[in-house]
This record gives sequence, structure tokens and C-alpha cells, in this order.
Amino acid sequence: MNQWIERIKDEVAQAWTVALKDVRVYYLRPGMIMFGFLMPFFMFFSFSVRREVGAAEGVARLLAMTVFFTAGAAGPFIIPTERAIGTYDRLLAAPMSLLTLLLGKTAVGAFFAIAVSGVALLAGLLFFGTTILQPGLLVAGILLGAFSFSTLGLAFGSMPTTNPGDVQMPSTLLRWVLLFISGVFIPLSDMAPVARAIAYFSPLTYAQDVMNHAVLGSGLLNPWLDLAVLALSGIVLLWPSIKMHQRARVLGR
Amino acid sequence: MNNAIEVENLTKYYDKFLAVDHINFTVKQGEIFGFLGPNGAGKTTTQRMLTTLLTPTEGRILINEHDLSRDSYPAKRQIGLVPEESNVYTELTAWDNLMFTASLYRVPRGERAKRAQELLETFGLWEKRNIKAENFSKGMRRRLSIAMAIIHKPSLLFLDEPTPGLDAQSIRAIWELIRRMNAEGTTVFITTHQIEEANQLCGRVAIISHGKIAAIDTPERLKANFRRTQSVEVAFEGDVTEKSPVLETLPGVTTQTKVGDKIRLYTEDPSALLPRIIQFAESHTLRVVSLNTLSPSLEDVFLEITGGQMGTVRNESLEEKPARRGKGARK
Repeated sequence: MNQWIERIKDEVAQAWTVALKDVRVYYLRPGMIMFGFLMPFFMFFSFSVRREVGAAEGVARLLAMTVFFTAGAAGPFIIPTERAIGTYDRLLAAPMSLLTLLLGKTAVGAFFAIAVSGVALLAGLLFFGTTILQPGLLVAGILLGAFSFSTLGLAFGSMPTTNPGDVQMPSTLLRWVLLFISGVFIPLSDMAPVARAIAYFSPLTYAQDVMNHAVLGSGLLNPWLDLAVLALSGIVLLWPSIKMHQRARVLGR
Repeated sequence: MNNAIEVENLTKYYDKFLAVDHINFTVKQGEIFGFLGPNGAGKTTTQRMLTTLLTPTEGRILINEHDLSRDSYPAKRQIGLVPEESNVYTELTAWDNLMFTASLYRVPRGERAKRAQELLETFGLWEKRNIKAENFSKGMRRRLSIAMAIIHKPSLLFLDEPTPGLDAQSIRAIWELIRRMNAEGTTVFITTHQIEEANQLCGRVAIISHGKIAAIDTPERLKANFRRTQSVEVAFEGDVTEKSPVLETLPGVTTQTKVGDKIRLYTEDPSALLPRIIQFAESHTLRVVSLNTLSPSLEDVFLEITGGQMGTVRNESLEEKPARRGKGARK
């Protein structure tokens, strides 16, 4: 029993070590800044300027987009880069489970999303005078959204390639598609039944809904359901990453 | 003594391409074991399977008696890996690279700084500990990469092509370190295509060719088993280009090659060939400048086994100096 407790403590410490290393090495790299930091703000201003969007609604939208884009930026950039320069082998050969490594990598994207959404929140509070009606729900939404979207990015990053471009292209494409079907620009309540049914397949729908609850005080779905879907999608999305890593070990990539 | 590595029937297919073909070998604890082979022979594929980076298609690997297919965790704790590319984090300093690896391998917190300092001093990097690795030379990155691989004091160290492209001083320093680690009890598995490196370091070598183990023994026994690669090297005064083809027709000569201003004649019986060469010189009124007999080098053995052209493919900087005896032997 003690042996297992020690092992779990080791694995948690190793995931933390991997995450901290990535924070130091990659956060200021152009790929992360472009796809993680600037993209959500560009997107927000592109689709919000000249549209009659209330301040609170705009802040809820900005927060959802920030968490979504930023969390998903790390995986597709970091893992193929590390495969290309050979440092990923160092991690794969280390005495830790694959799940530990993947959770460490998930944390990198999640931390990035939490930090950048903090900037977005601050901007909302200072420049738009927005008040947060349910701070606890906001924190839970950001944390679980960051986890869910980071594992989505990780799934792309786990594709057996050494070229970040091979991964960033399809992952960006998917994120754009999700952005337009998920009730970010058109509220769920205004969607046609078919479009709304499609929106329910996207985790971003639930992140946007929970932000609406937290900032506007109302949403379409039960906020507990939103949080549960975000947590569950994060766990489920680890599965393709594990499978692709196992496949990469067979293919030798 | 127990085996550090046991490989049974190890096989790897990449799709339909057979890279490693049912190989078997063992490495005893405390050995320096060389894994030699030409490019594409299956060396790195084998090493990647031994270090859990690649899943075998078939076969079994035991590392210090731990079966990798069942639970690789205890084996991974005992392994240090230096890959072919120096995979250091160039954005981090030498110190931070070592502290990261120490933390990853769960080196006790109180020992990390002490070990990092020892290694940086050993590798001549202490003065540069706070400089980012992106500013390091290739040799410095290599040394840092090795330091990162041994900070947790592994009992089994894998080195993939440890010295290509390094200057002679760095090569000697790395060889010395490997010998010292081995003397302290570390088993070393070196994958290399540099024959002199294997000859200088390894107690035993395996030669892999086309995915199969072609030979496995001590370097000296391998050389002894290839008596037919003995040769006689002769230099005549003046230009003998026209007459040299006649030398190949002398009884006992299997093949000949020109080496600089000398002619090397391969034979199974150098002592019988010597008087024939003298007789040839006298009959053609040639003056012999030097006449040496050469025992086979590990490179000769390697080329013979791997199907290379014996005695013609040479890398000057790495060439093994064959044992010379007889008239005109160099001092």
C-alpha cells in the first residue's frame, strides 16, 4: 500500500515537473503567443465590433473564447516540436506512466488558459465595468474548460508527426468549426433545433453556457450539467491521446 | 553474475519491412557491450526497443530481470539513455537541464544540487552552468546530455552513437567517463558504427547486419576468427603500377588493394607469402622499401561480416592501427 502511495506521489510530482518545464520553455514561443494569446482577442474583436453586444455578454463570450483557444494551443505546438528535436524521447523513457506525461502536458495548456483568461477577466472588469454574478461558477468553468480544451489540443498533438504544422492546421480548422456551431456568436436560444442539436456535441457550448451563468446570471442549460460535460469531455479526450501515443510507439515515430 | 539485458527472439517490423529479425543476446551486469552495424542495420531500432521507446513486434526483453512488456516502470528507473541527438533543452541553462532531469527521475531533493555540481565539474561545464544550452557547442551539449542521463545514477546506461562529429579531446573525455562509470559498476550498452570506439571500449561486441546478429564475441576473438583477413603490406621503390597486377597472381593471395604508396595483399598465410614477394621483387629487379604483416583489425572483421569491401573503406580519423610485425615495422 505504501509503495502505491509513494508511486502516486512520484507520478504527481513528475507531471508537475513536466508542466513547469514546458511553462518555462514554451510559453514565450511565437507559436504559443500567436495561437494561444492573440488569436482569441483577434477573434473577439473581429466578431464583436460593430455588433450590438452588451458589455456583460461580450465579456462572457471573450472568456469562453479565451479559455477555448488558449488551452488548446499548447498540445499541437509543444509535442510535435519536442518530437522533432528529440526531447520527447527523454520524457517517454522516464520512469512515469504515459497518463502522467499526458496530464503534465494537459496542465501546460490549462495553466496558460487560466492565466490568459485572467487577463481577459481583468479587461472585462476594468474597461467594461462588468460584475461577475457567480464567481465560484466562473472559476469552476474556467478550470474545467481549460482542462477539457487542453486535452482536445493534446489529442491533436499526439498525432504521430514531428512537424507542428501538420497538427496545427487541422486543430485550428476544428476549433473554428466548433466556434461557429457552439453558441458563442449566436446564442443557443436563437438557434434552429437542428443547429442546437449539433451544438450539444461541442464542449465549447457548455463552456459558453457556464460563462453566461457566471457573468449574465442566466444560461440555457443547468450549470451543473455544463460543468459535468466539460469534466467528462476532458477525461474522454485523453483516450485518443493515449491510443495515438501507443500507435506512435509501434510505428517508431 | 546476473544479466543486465536479456533479449529473446526480438523482432521489429515497420509495416512489411523487417528491421530486426529474431535476435537473441545477453549483456552481463558490469559489461561494456558494443552494438555495431552499418547504417540501417537495426542498431537504433534495437536500442529503442530496449529503452521502451519502441514496441517490439515479437520477442521478450528483460532489463535487470524485469520484463518490459509486463511492467517497464522498475526497469526505466534503472536506465539512463543518451540518444544520438543531444536532446537537451536549449532554452534552459545547463543547471536547469540537470535539475529538471533530477526531478523527473525523482532524485532525492537534498541530493540534486550536489549531484548536478559534481557532474558539471566532471564534464567541465561548471563555469557555464548559468548559460543557456543554445549557446553551447556540439561537444558541450553532448557532455550535458550524458550528464542528464546519469544524474540518477543508472545501473544500465545506453549510449547511441556517443561521439560522432566531436573533436578528439571530447571523444577521449567521453571514453574516459564511460570507462570510469563502468569501473564503478554501471553496465554500458553502446550503439555505434565507429569501430575504433567499440574496439577501445567494449569487452564484447555484437555485429548486426540486415537485422540479424552476425557475430557476437570479444573484439580479439572476433579478429582471431577472421584469419583470412590477415594481410601483407609491401612498398617498392619507384612506380610499380604496371607490375602490381602480377602480385595478385602470387599463390595464397586472395585479393589486393592499393593503400597510399603501398600494396596490401590479403592472405590466410602471411609467412608463406613473404618469401614469394621477395622472390617477385628480385625477379623484377625491384627494391623493397618496407614489408609488413598485418593482423586483421576489427574494421576488417566488421566489413567482412557486413559485406563491405574489405580493406578499402576507411575513415582516417577513426582507423584502427593494425598490429604490425616483421620487416620495416613502424615504430
